[in-house]
Amino acid sequence: MTTAPRIVTVRQNILKTNDHTAAGNRQTFRAAGVRAINLASSPGAGKTALLERTLRDLAADIKMAVAVGDLATDNDAARLRQWGAQAEQIVTGTVCHLDAAMVRDVLPRFDLEALDVLFLENVGNLVCPSSYDLGEAARAVLISTTEGEDKPLKYPTMFNTADVVVITKMDLADAVGFDRELCRENIDRARPGVKVVELSSRSGEGLAGWYDFVRGQ
Amino acid sequence: MHEASIAVSLIEVACEVMREHGAARASALTVRVGQWSSVVPEALNAAFEACAEDTPLAGAALSIERVPGIGECPQHGPVELELRRGLRCPLCGAATPTLLQGDELELDSLELA
Repeated sequence: MTTAPRIVTVRQNILKTNDHTAAGNRQTFRAAGVRAINLASSPGAGKTALLERTLRDLAADIKMAVAVGDLATDNDAARLRQWGAQAEQIVTGTVCHLDAAMVRDVLPRFDLEALDVLFLENVGNLVCPSSYDLGEAARAVLISTTEGEDKPLKYPTMFNTADVVVITKMDLADAVGFDRELCRENIDRARPGVKVVELSSRSGEGLAGWYDFVRGQ
Repeated sequence: MHEASIAVSLIEVACEVMREHGAARASALTVRVGQWSSVVPEALNAAFEACAEDTPLAGAALSIERVPGIGECPQHGPVELELRRGLRCPLCGAATPTLLQGDELELDSLELA
């Protein structure tokens, strides 16, 4: 005799464990008075360059550190340490995004009480990181002028979760025929009303708007 | 390609539900995947099949319900969005900043064997 199959209705978020861990991280950051900023972009959009410039320019002002996700190498962390800030590598192996547990596990290496801002530099990827809350206070999504203007519509989930969209490499905008209005229109379609900052980490133009965001202003 | 990570989380959630119901196996499960969730159903299906081997969900049939994006237009109320147009009302072009639905990534039901 066989029993009829039982169908149970579940309606549960598949990523609830990650969300739960992220809530714990968020609590930890809040208790320590640390502003955690999740940075996401495609590979080569300039996350590390922007962080290098930020660490250099704001070092006298605010205490910063970085947890950086990378599939295999320690190169980014080494680049960031040159500027005197603590940078810890999270080697994600085959995983193409940071998740909340990876961040939780790296936190004991930082003296959070002594920090104002902790940057969580995600793996270069505009798809996977969008689903994973890390417990950050704010999420920055970068797009460079050399990538084309349609990225926001190709990767709507990532841009739709951004608190700020940063257009990088503005010093190259003219050289590559970057259509600024179209890019801003596409960003607004993906995330209506989102704050947009245009800057160049190399020339320094536009950095003030980014620094306001870093400070939470 | 984060569908492998999603599949592993899905299997964890499903196994937890099975334990709660004292079930040793499941023969089918349905998940709801929003159009704005950045998860590709075909990739999730393939990843699930591979990741479910050697788990109580081995061989279980996964069916994926695609949930369309719905935005709130100030003039037209709830409207179905088109992914390529972004968060804009298809009738008047107004911004619809809030997704009322379409970012789901959830285990909907489980058929216990």
